[in-house]
Amino acid sequence: MAAPIIELQGITKTYDDGFTALSNINMTIEPGKFYSLLGPSGSGKTTILRLIAGFTNASSGAILFEGQKINDLPANQRKVNTVFQNYALFPHLDVFENVAFGLNLQKRPKAEIKKRVLDALKLVQLPGYANREISELSGGQQQRVAIARAIVNEPKVLLLDEPLSALDMKLRQDMQYELRELQQRLKITFIFVTHDQEEALAMSDEIFVVNDGKILQSGTPVDIYDEPINHFVANFIGESNILPGEMLADYQVEFVGKTFECADAGMKPNEKVEVVLRPEDLDVTTAEQGKLVVTVDTQLFRGDHFEIIGIDDDGNEWLIHSTNPVRGGKHIGLTFEPEDIHVMRFGEKEADFDARLEQYEED
Amino acid sequence: MKKIKFSSVYLVLVFIILYIPIFYLIFYSFNQGGNMNHFTGFTWAHYQELFSDKRMLVIVLDTFLIAILSSLFATIIGTFGALGIAGRKSQRTKSALLTLNNVLMVSPDVIIGASFLILFSALGIGLGFGSVLLSHIAFSIPIVVLLVLPKVNELDPALLNAAQDLGATNWQTFSRVIVPYITPGIFSGFFMAFTYSLDDFAVTFFVTGNGFTTLSVEIYSRARQGISLEINALSAVMFLFSLLLVVGYYFVNRYSHSRRQKQRRHAKSEVTLS
Repeated sequence: MAAPIIELQGITKTYDDGFTALSNINMTIEPGKFYSLLGPSGSGKTTILRLIAGFTNASSGAILFEGQKINDLPANQRKVNTVFQNYALFPHLDVFENVAFGLNLQKRPKAEIKKRVLDALKLVQLPGYANREISELSGGQQQRVAIARAIVNEPKVLLLDEPLSALDMKLRQDMQYELRELQQRLKITFIFVTHDQEEALAMSDEIFVVNDGKILQSGTPVDIYDEPINHFVANFIGESNILPGEMLADYQVEFVGKTFECADAGMKPNEKVEVVLRPEDLDVTTAEQGKLVVTVDTQLFRGDHFEIIGIDDDGNEWLIHSTNPVRGGKHIGLTFEPEDIHVMRFGEKEADFDARLEQYEED
Repeated sequence: MKKIKFSSVYLVLVFIILYIPIFYLIFYSFNQGGNMNHFTGFTWAHYQELFSDKRMLVIVLDTFLIAILSSLFATIIGTFGALGIAGRKSQRTKSALLTLNNVLMVSPDVIIGASFLILFSALGIGLGFGSVLLSHIAFSIPIVVLLVLPKVNELDPALLNAAQDLGATNWQTFSRVIVPYITPGIFSGFFMAFTYSLDDFAVTFFVTGNGFTTLSVEIYSRARQGISLEINALSAVMFLFSLLLVVGYYFVNRYSHSRRQKQRRHAKSEVTLS
């Protein structure tokens, strides 16, 4: 494990009116990786970014940059640059002057500035736009200029505050690829704030799920998708069927009145739990062969899949993603593998969750 | 036949009524007879008289000097004032400060002039150029604040963060981002302060001493002594001057506007191409 480039230790942020925006945030950021801070609006993810950038101060806790405490270092002396949500390009300057802003402040030689600015514009695929006015550019182009303006200063960490949220769907997906590619080419650390779970899953090496000023879970996109720690994470990341259940014994869970084999262990016998089943893990079969039987309520064609909502005899709603539509009979059976069941304990902390996972996976 | 609309007749009538006195004045500035009762013949004599009147020319120059200096100082002070008001965190303080500013705008000139006179005599400041300049600066500041403030409020705080993020110190953020951004507001504040100073009578009347006078005060005192058509000639020249100013302002505005529109058209065609 490489030496961390940024560490947040026990960061708490309380505003004058008593509102606690962040409570006890601990994060370790390693160099060269793509991180996402994922959470709903108002969760505190942007506040974390502003703390790292130096636009706001922590009430308590330490921010370390390469091992040095930088709590009191002003924003203009930190080796990080930010891409702002609405780009924050200077309207009175043209594209070249915007990108050159940081280098001009450093009083670099004219020739070097010119070369680096033009290189940066090439990197974001805007060569030949140097003399355009900002008002002449489309949203996507402004986005690229904002990225060029930040990376031209060769920051060690690039902070991105929902940079894609103002773009339309198609452009957003293109930019996701481009950003990921750019990060891998430049090998600088990206910290990307987003409320879009698909974006975070697609681009990140590691995701921090933030809600109510706390980090609920961190891990790779696959870990977080497959092993969400609690109801909130399971619901926020991807779609899921979440049901109350009871852990009868290791690898045995009971829900909707039936007992199923599962892949989770390490809990107390007869502990009340929640069970997650992802809609794409549910396979449609005949009513006789199904582990569960539901009645089809609605069926929507979503382009790449059919979204089926079924209701079982107990009145629970089941969301099913199927590549084929259900034809004929309204009663269908659902099957799934033991690994498709994910069991969540109530109120489990991330450290305990990770320890438990490690413990029984070693067995 | 096209029907003449009532609204256009009304508009034309209003403007005729508004402009008749001025044109009446200008018309008689060419009158050979020394009064405004009968037009007896055309002459430039009053203009010659005006341009050879040294005292009058000095007063004109003084008036412009006062206007330029006072609007310059007022613009600087007022701009910082607007930045200060916008920078207050509490909305209450903000609106309190703004209200105090607006009270100065609406209070009658006579009261402001009288209060200055009392202040200057209490402090022992002699009346003359200095006192007129100080009072003009003072009554121009609220105007500048009022015109600069909207531009400051429009400024996205993210722009300031962006400048800091790119390494700008507070001073660099101020000089390279804030000032260029609010420049249009500063300019309109300056011009408004300039015209206010140029045509101020009431305040100036109180604070000019014996030796020093401005155009409006001079015209007033001359008009009291009896009608001289030199005043008419002066009015005509001033009217022409302000007309040129307004036309010039219009063309400057239209130029920058059309430039912006061209840019917008440019941007649009690009979107359709891509």
